[in-house]
Amino acid sequence: MLTLLRRRAVSSVVPLLVVVLGVFFLARLTGDPANLYLPLSATPEMRAEFAARNGLDDPLITQFGDYLAQVVHLDFGESLRTAQPAGEAVLRAFPATLQLAGWTMLLAIVGAVVIGSLAAYRPNSATDRIASFLSSTAASVPDFWIAIMGVLVFAVTLGWLPTSGTSGAAAWVLPVATLLIRPFGVLVQVVRGAMVSALSAPYVKVARAKGASEFRVVFGHALRNAAAPALTVAGDLAVGLVNGAVVVETIFGWPGIGKLMIDSVLQRDFAVLQAAVLLTALAIFALNILVDLSHALLDPRVRQRAAA
Amino acid sequence: MLQKATSEAGATTVRRRWYALLLRDRFASAAALVLVLVALCAVLGPLLAGDLATRQNLRAPGRPPFSLDHGWAFVLGSDSLGRPVAARLLTAAGTTLAVAVPAVLCSLVIGSVWGMWAGYHGGWRENVSLRVADVILSFPSLLLAVVVLYVFSPSAASIVLVLAVARIPVYLRTARAEAAELRSRLFVDAARTFGTGGWATIRRHVAPSVLPTLLTVAALDFCFVMLAESSLSFLGIGIQPPDVSWGLMVAQGRQELQSAWWIALFPGLAIVLTTVSATVLASWARMTTDPGQRWREGVRRSGRRARGARGASADPATRDGAVAEPDTTADPDTTADPDTTADPDTTAGPDTTAAPGGSRPTGTEPPTPADVLVVDDLSVDVHTPAGPVHVVRRVGFSVRSGETLALLGESGCGKSMTAHAVAGLLDPVAEVVGGQVRLDGEDLLGLGARARRRLAGPGVAMVFQDALSALNPVLTVGTQLAEPFRIHEGLSRRAARARAVELMERVGIPEARSRADAYPHQFSGGMRQRLLIATAVALRPRVLIADEPTTALDVTVQAQIMDLLRELRGEQRTALVLITHDLGLAAEHADRVAVMYAGTVVETGPVAEVFGKPHHPYTRGLLASVPAEQHRGSRLSSIPGSPPDPGAVPAGCAFRTRCPMARERCATHRPALTGTGAGRAAACHFGKELADA
Repeated sequence: MLTLLRRRAVSSVVPLLVVVLGVFFLARLTGDPANLYLPLSATPEMRAEFAARNGLDDPLITQFGDYLAQVVHLDFGESLRTAQPAGEAVLRAFPATLQLAGWTMLLAIVGAVVIGSLAAYRPNSATDRIASFLSSTAASVPDFWIAIMGVLVFAVTLGWLPTSGTSGAAAWVLPVATLLIRPFGVLVQVVRGAMVSALSAPYVKVARAKGASEFRVVFGHALRNAAAPALTVAGDLAVGLVNGAVVVETIFGWPGIGKLMIDSVLQRDFAVLQAAVLLTALAIFALNILVDLSHALLDPRVRQRAAA
Repeated sequence: MLQKATSEAGATTVRRRWYALLLRDRFASAAALVLVLVALCAVLGPLLAGDLATRQNLRAPGRPPFSLDHGWAFVLGSDSLGRPVAARLLTAAGTTLAVAVPAVLCSLVIGSVWGMWAGYHGGWRENVSLRVADVILSFPSLLLAVVVLYVFSPSAASIVLVLAVARIPVYLRTARAEAAELRSRLFVDAARTFGTGGWATIRRHVAPSVLPTLLTVAALDFCFVMLAESSLSFLGIGIQPPDVSWGLMVAQGRQELQSAWWIALFPGLAIVLTTVSATVLASWARMTTDPGQRWREGVRRSGRRARGARGASADPATRDGAVAEPDTTADPDTTADPDTTADPDTTAGPDTTAAPGGSRPTGTEPPTPADVLVVDDLSVDVHTPAGPVHVVRRVGFSVRSGETLALLGESGCGKSMTAHAVAGLLDPVAEVVGGQVRLDGEDLLGLGARARRRLAGPGVAMVFQDALSALNPVLTVGTQLAEPFRIHEGLSRRAARARAVELMERVGIPEARSRADAYPHQFSGGMRQRLLIATAVALRPRVLIADEPTTALDVTVQAQIMDLLRELRGEQRTALVLITHDLGLAAEHADRVAVMYAGTVVETGPVAEVFGKPHHPYTRGLLASVPAEQHRGSRLSSIPGSPPDPGAVPAGCAFRTRCPMARERCATHRPALTGTGAGRAAACHFGKELADA
């Protein structure tokens, strides 16, 4: 298990380093970083002062060393807007996104397992075809539009739900529902496919030959085998949830990292953007390891391969 | 090889007539129509709408949709600046496609060429390419776009660039996987041997095979790119005003949501319509380019109605060779209504000689009270798009407790299908269409699912052929062996586990107590077969069906497994049905034998007698084709020809086309299984002659 963890950590650290490098070079090589950090209206004196303060007149290699040291200490400079440390701003926004994403993934996985299994149980039945069509539609609708239509119907017209904020359960309904729709659609299809092949495996026949109930066949035997491919996709979807979070948080005024990112882009607050991007990359890195651990938990063969 | 060849031939016909196929699928045609319309709008939009999309018209602000008093321009209403929504939609179609199409094309071309190159060469090129793909894909694409569009200012060109880069890995992975698969195939090898250059081979051999898959991916990717572009535009970092895109229109509509809902509604609908159409078309393309998949899906549809059949949809092809024939030869397009389930007998030709009451396996003898299992007149159909195929036709046999009956036949003769029908484990594509299966006098086929389940284990149990796939890979063997006790005896987890360990000891698994926590892949082939047998005999079944239990094993292990089965049979007084194609195995282990050919029993009797003096020409032929001491010095003969396709069994006697004794009568009259001696029966017009000879 530890071997697996170590090996995976080493291989996932590469993308992380690429992001760290990418942010550095994007900031330096596309012109004067002062352009990125300072507002467009900055005077030449401000720029010079900024360059001196941030060591921008040092050689590139020194700058890179400084930058790495900063990253390691999670010191990303100060936000232009609030003059607060950018790292702190991001860390403060992080839990809100994490909660939103966590609930979304939980609901998506539970829902997809139930509906995907039902669809796979009788391939090409009416249930299956309805589930397949709805899920493929759900996987290809624009989430921002669904969110706005949700606001129009449930907040503006019916007045049942608030349009923004995080207080109370009602405030969670629209953001979670919006964020849910695409991963749910994709996951239903993946679970269905994996369950169709698991249910046609010989061990399922053996289970039936033992007199196992259909419930036991589906959830005791097939589902655990179908879980591995579904888990891989769920991991990718969780990463993709960052995309959705940017949209959903912007629309619903959710004080998370996605809204922070868009705000910092629109207001050209590079310190915060950089911090948000790097911390998101770190979170994705952690998520990938978590997915791999779950794989090992689910499938003894993965455990054995890891130990070998 | 045959399978490959036919499926490739199928692919070419599909390519030639794709539009005909498209027209046949109403859903896909509608989707294609939508996409063509969107493309037309994109091209003609500027001509139709002119500058209406951007020209402010302060005399007509906030018009609701469907107000036609100012002409068609305001059919979808107007925004607060009086710009007609319909005109903006048309213009935006152009902008949207101008981003999505180049982005998809760029990533398609770069990604697939790169992927084919990596997959064709393998080695470090493959590894590095995959790592690069991993890195790009492990980063949320929108985030990438956000950063890049921050640094370079947002414009259509930079969006295309970002999205193309973000999607290259998708094509790279697909193309690499397919090319690597082809690399191992012979024709690519051959090309390499002839010294054809790498790129030439890729272009000539790899690209045509990979392209259909890549185009399907591209159709799905088109959705993704469109959604990404509209998200970015919506967020204000994509297309910038005064240009219009659907995403941007939704963003604008959001500002005026309270007063003018239509501004946000219509562009969103346009996006949904386009992306859903692309998805539908992509899944249609996947179905048509993969004939196997389409065939199987079609079959499932019919299988759903199969009586008592349940979910397991293992391809029948995997078990019986000849049953696989329709899979590869059937035209995937012929979706004949499978409901025209003809009675097997009406199509079987002038079958007038069959005695009423069906074919008694033991010929003249009535079933003795000791018969545990009596199969009577059992017929099974497999539903294919070309109509039902009669794979088992009026099969009958019986087994007593403590006795072994060998069900002997070549692969594809229907012996496994018979066994699965008896055990109630038919795939949904197969259906019992007639006959009885009586366990201690009770007809199993008439029982409900619940009653049938209660008998699965203590009544009829089954040992499967391939123990590795028959054991669940993610559960410990202890759990799997304890299952029968948990299900049927309601034992606690602990008690059931104790019984499982006992059972493991009984079938000869060393260190059973600790090995109970191991997983199937940690056992050898022979041990796995022992575990499977243990599962089957856990509840001391009255009938045990062993379906080629030793085929996958080497000879010494085979003998051990057969000995174990024999011991257990004696111990539990089980009736054992041994399904095999191995004459030696049958001779050594069975008391009686039922020889099957083309879905029917052609001869039955005590094994020594049948093998000593066969009463059916087929059995004779089989025996003559086995090397044995008495044949020493003479030429080993084989039966000319090959068994008939289950879908095209000749009328009259199924064996006549290969039979040295065939006469005219054989072509018109199907011989019934009739007694030819004490305990003997044969389905041949000349059975008596053979018996008396």
